[in-house]
Amino acid sequence: MTQKSKLIKLLAVLFAFTLVTAACGGDDSDDGSASSSDEVTLTAEGGSLLETVQERGTLNCGVSGAAVAFSTLDPQGNMVGFDADYCRAVAAAVLGDADAVNFVSLTAAERFTAVQSGDIDVLMRNTTWTQSRDTDVGMDFGPTTYYDGQQLMGKAADGFSGSSTVADLDGATICTNAGTTTEKNIGDAAEAAGITINLQTYEDFDIVTDNFKSGACDVVTTDGSALVGRKAEQQPDGEEWVIFPGAPISKEPLGPTYGQNDSQWADVVNWTVYATIIADEKGINSGNASGVVGNDAFDAEAQRLMGGEGELQTLMGLSADAFQNVISQVGNYDEIYSRNLNPVGLSRSGSSNAGWTDGGLIYAPPAR
Amino acid sequence: MSEMTSIKTGKRPEEVSRSPSEWIRQNLFSNIPNTILTIIFGIFTLYAIRGILGFVLSGERRWEAVATNMRLLMAQGYPANQFVRVWFTLGCLMVLTGLSLAIWSGKGRLSVKKISNWVMSTGLGLAVFAALAPISASSRLGWVIAGALLIAGGLGLWQRAKNKTTETLHTIPTVPFSFGFLGILVLSLWVVPFGHYAFTNGELVAETGRTVAMSTKLPFTVMWLLLVGTYCLTNLVRESLPIAQAKACLVGLWLLSPFILNWIVLRDPDFDYGHIVSTDIPLAALFIFVGGGILFMLAKPSLGEIGRLTAIALLIFGVFNWVAAFFGWYPMLQKVRISFVLLALAALIAPNFAADRKTRLKFVTGWAILILISHWLITAVNSPSTLELQGPTYLGGFSLTLFVAILTLLLSFPLGVLLALGRTSSMPIARVLCTGYIESIRGVPLITILFFFSNILPLFLPQGMEIAELAAIVTGYTLFSAAYLAENVRGGLQSVMRGQYEAADAIGLTTSQRTGFIVLPQALRVSIPPLVGQAIGVFKETSLVAIIGAYDILRIANNVVPAQTEFLGVKREGLLLVSVIYFIVAFSMSKYSQRLEERVGLGER
Repeated sequence: MTQKSKLIKLLAVLFAFTLVTAACGGDDSDDGSASSSDEVTLTAEGGSLLETVQERGTLNCGVSGAAVAFSTLDPQGNMVGFDADYCRAVAAAVLGDADAVNFVSLTAAERFTAVQSGDIDVLMRNTTWTQSRDTDVGMDFGPTTYYDGQQLMGKAADGFSGSSTVADLDGATICTNAGTTTEKNIGDAAEAAGITINLQTYEDFDIVTDNFKSGACDVVTTDGSALVGRKAEQQPDGEEWVIFPGAPISKEPLGPTYGQNDSQWADVVNWTVYATIIADEKGINSGNASGVVGNDAFDAEAQRLMGGEGELQTLMGLSADAFQNVISQVGNYDEIYSRNLNPVGLSRSGSSNAGWTDGGLIYAPPAR
Repeated sequence: MSEMTSIKTGKRPEEVSRSPSEWIRQNLFSNIPNTILTIIFGIFTLYAIRGILGFVLSGERRWEAVATNMRLLMAQGYPANQFVRVWFTLGCLMVLTGLSLAIWSGKGRLSVKKISNWVMSTGLGLAVFAALAPISASSRLGWVIAGALLIAGGLGLWQRAKNKTTETLHTIPTVPFSFGFLGILVLSLWVVPFGHYAFTNGELVAETGRTVAMSTKLPFTVMWLLLVGTYCLTNLVRESLPIAQAKACLVGLWLLSPFILNWIVLRDPDFDYGHIVSTDIPLAALFIFVGGGILFMLAKPSLGEIGRLTAIALLIFGVFNWVAAFFGWYPMLQKVRISFVLLALAALIAPNFAADRKTRLKFVTGWAILILISHWLITAVNSPSTLELQGPTYLGGFSLTLFVAILTLLLSFPLGVLLALGRTSSMPIARVLCTGYIESIRGVPLITILFFFSNILPLFLPQGMEIAELAAIVTGYTLFSAAYLAENVRGGLQSVMRGQYEAADAIGLTTSQRTGFIVLPQALRVSIPPLVGQAIGVFKETSLVAIIGAYDILRIANNVVPAQTEFLGVKREGLLLVSVIYFIVAFSMSKYSQRLEERVGLGER
C-alpha cells in the first residue's frame, strides 16, 4: 500500500511538472525544428505582414470588446459593432472570408504593445490618431473611419439646449470618467472660456451616467458617440437630455492602426476602408456587389474595384475580387455605419461622418 | 488520511437539546444589555434586508439582461452547436462525483433537528421577505402562508425528532438528502415559470410566464439523473469491487479530469492522424520501452553509485536540450525535450524502487502510464482546435474563472511544496534559489506577472514559438501562487518539532522518507487554514485576467453586458449575480476546509 501511494504521489508531481513545461512551450513540438519555423514574423524583421496573415489563414484583430456600438459581445458571444465589422472587412479582403477573424480584446494600456509584439495584425480599437502615437509610440494610422469629438450633455430642465456653449457651464458640476484625455480637454476648455467648473471623475461611464440621472452631476462629458448612445438608451421618460456644443471641444478621429514601416500591409488596410467608402459613393452594397462586374449601370472605377477589367488588387498582393468580398460579405460604409451606430441614435446625415458630397468628411481617393 | 481519522475514537458530547423558544431566550434575550443589542441589530438587519429586497425587486431592475446573457456569463462565446461538449464535461464530473460518493461510502448523517432548523429558518426568511418586500398584498399573503407552513412543518419535524432515541431515527443519511434537495431544484425548473429568455439572430425573446428553455432544463435533469444513477448503480455492485484499487483509480481520474476535459473534450483538438501514426506513436513507444528499460536497470538494488551518475548525466542532458533550443543549435521536438527531463527525474528517484522484480516492474509501468498520458496531452494541447469561435479564447465567463482557479491550484500546490522544502533544505544552492524565487515573485504584483506573460514574454520567445493566451494566464498564476503557497507550507514545516526529524533519522529513514512520511503530513495538516485561505484568494483573484483582455465572469457582468446596445448601462444586476456566485464557491471552500480540519483533528490535539 505504501509503495503504491508513493507511486501515485510521485506520478502526480511528475505529471504536474509535465503540464507546466507543456504549457510553457505550447509551441513547435510538431513541426520538427525550433528555429526554422516562421509562424511569427515581426514587421521590423522584414517581409510584409500580408504574407504572414495569408499563410496563417486568420486575421488577428485587436478590439476593445466593451465599447458600445463599436465592439461588444452580443448575448451569443459574437463580437459585433463598427470596429468589429471593419476587422471582418480586412479579413474578407485579405483572406476572402469575413469570418476568418481572431478577435483579441485589448485594454487601452496594452493595445500598442500588442501590435508591437505581433499579437495582433491590425488594431481597430477606437484609437484616436494623434501626433505622439503616430511618431513617438511607433504606430501608423489608416484612414479615419469615424470622426468623433468630445461633447457635453446636460438636462433641458436645467436650461441647457443644443446651442449652449462651454461658457454656460460656470459653477456647474461636470462629471467624466477618470484617467482619460476628456478630463484634460474639459479643463482646458473651461480655462479658455474663463469659467470655474467643479470637475468630478468616476471609474467608469456607467457610474457617471447614474450620477447624472440622479442629479449629482449637472453635466457629463465624453466622446459624442458615447453621449448619444447613453441618451438614446437611458434618458428617462418625461426628461430631455441635450448634447452640446455643436462643434465638439476636441477632435477624436478614429480609425485602423498598425505597426509602422510596413507599406504593403498599410495599403491593404487603407484600401479596404477606401473600398467601403467608394462603394457607398457608387451605390454598391452587399446586395448587388457580386453583380457589378460586367454591368453597364456601374462605371469603370466601380468595375475595377470589384475585380473587373484592369483591376489593381492583384498588384497589392490581394485577389482580384478582394473588395467584392468585402462589400458582399460585410457591406459598404453606409451599411456598416447604419447597422451598428443607428441603433444607439447616431445618425450620419448632418454629422462629420456624412459623405463629402453631403457636407461630411468621409472621403476616399479615386480607385484608378 | 485514513490512519489519521482512526485516531479519533471517542464521540463528542451530544449538544444539549433546546426548543426554539428556549434557544431564543437563552441566546438573544438573556439579560438587559443582550436584549437591547438584539433589538438594535434586529432593526438594523431588517432595514438592510429591506434595502436589498427593494433593490432586487425594483421595477428599474432589468433582470432580463442577466437572464438573456446567462450563457455569455457562464461560457462566453462557446459555439451553440458544440455546446453539448460543455454538458458532456459536466456529465463526466457528475459521474465521477456519484462514483466517489458510493466508493467512499458517504456515511455522513444529518440530524433531523438540523434539517428542521433549516426548514424553520427558510420559513422565517419567507415571512421576513413577505413583510418587507415591495410586493402586492395578495402575493404577500401567499408568501406569509408559505412561510407559516414551513415554520409549522419544521416545528413538527423537530417535535418528532425530539422523541426519538436511537440515532437511526433522529438522523437521515446526508447523501440521499442532498440528492433529494438537488432533485427539488431540478424539478422547479420544469414547474416554476422563471421565464424564457433568448437571443437569436439579433432578436431578443423574453417570455416571462414560461418555464426556462428546454436547452436548460433537460441537460440539468440529465445531470441529476447521472449523479443519482451512478451513485445507486455503484452502491449495488460496491461489495464486489476491489475498494482500494477503485479508490486509487478515482483519485487518478479526479486529478486527470481537469486536463482531459479541458484539452480533449472542451477544446476538441483537430488531430493530424498522419503525423500521429508516423511520429507521435513511435516516439511514445520508444520512450516507454527504451526509457522503461533504462529505468528498470537503474532500479536494480545492486547498481550502487553508477545509477546515480547515470541519472545525473541524464539530467544534464535533459537540461542541455533546452539551452540548445534557446540558442537554436539543433532541432528537436519539444515533446522529446520534455520526455528527456521526465526520464532524468524518474532516473533520480529510481533507487527508491530498488527492490524485487515486482516493485521494479510496477515502477516501469508507472513510467509507461506517465509517458502515455503526457504525450497524449502534449499532442492534444498542440493540435489546433476545431471550434469556430468569434471570441479570443475558447473559454470565457465562469468556465474561465473555474479553469484558471482549478488548474492554478492543481499545478501550484506541488510546486509550492517543493519550493517550501527547498527553502528549508540544508542544501545552500536549493535554499538560495528557492528563497530568491519566492522573494522575487512575492515582490511583484500579480498584474505585472500577468502582463509579463501575455505581452512581454512573446517578445523574448525564440522565432516560431508562441504561447497561447490561456497557457500564459495559467503559467503566470501558477508561478505566482506557488510562491505564496510555499510560504504557507513553510509555516507548517516550522511547526514540526526538531525531535520529529531526529526520531525519523534515528529509525533510519532516508531524507525523502522522512519528508514524505513524517514531516510533510504534519506540516500540511497545520497549514490547512492558510492554504485554504490562499485557495480562496486564487479563486477570487482570477478576475484579474480581465486586465489582459480575457473575459471572465466579472468582466462580462461589469463591462460587456452594460455595453450591449439592448442593455446599455445595465450593470448592477450582473454584479449582484456575480457576487452571489463568488460567495457560494468561496463559502463552500471555506466550509470544506472546516470539515477537513475537523477530520484531521486540527485545533483539538
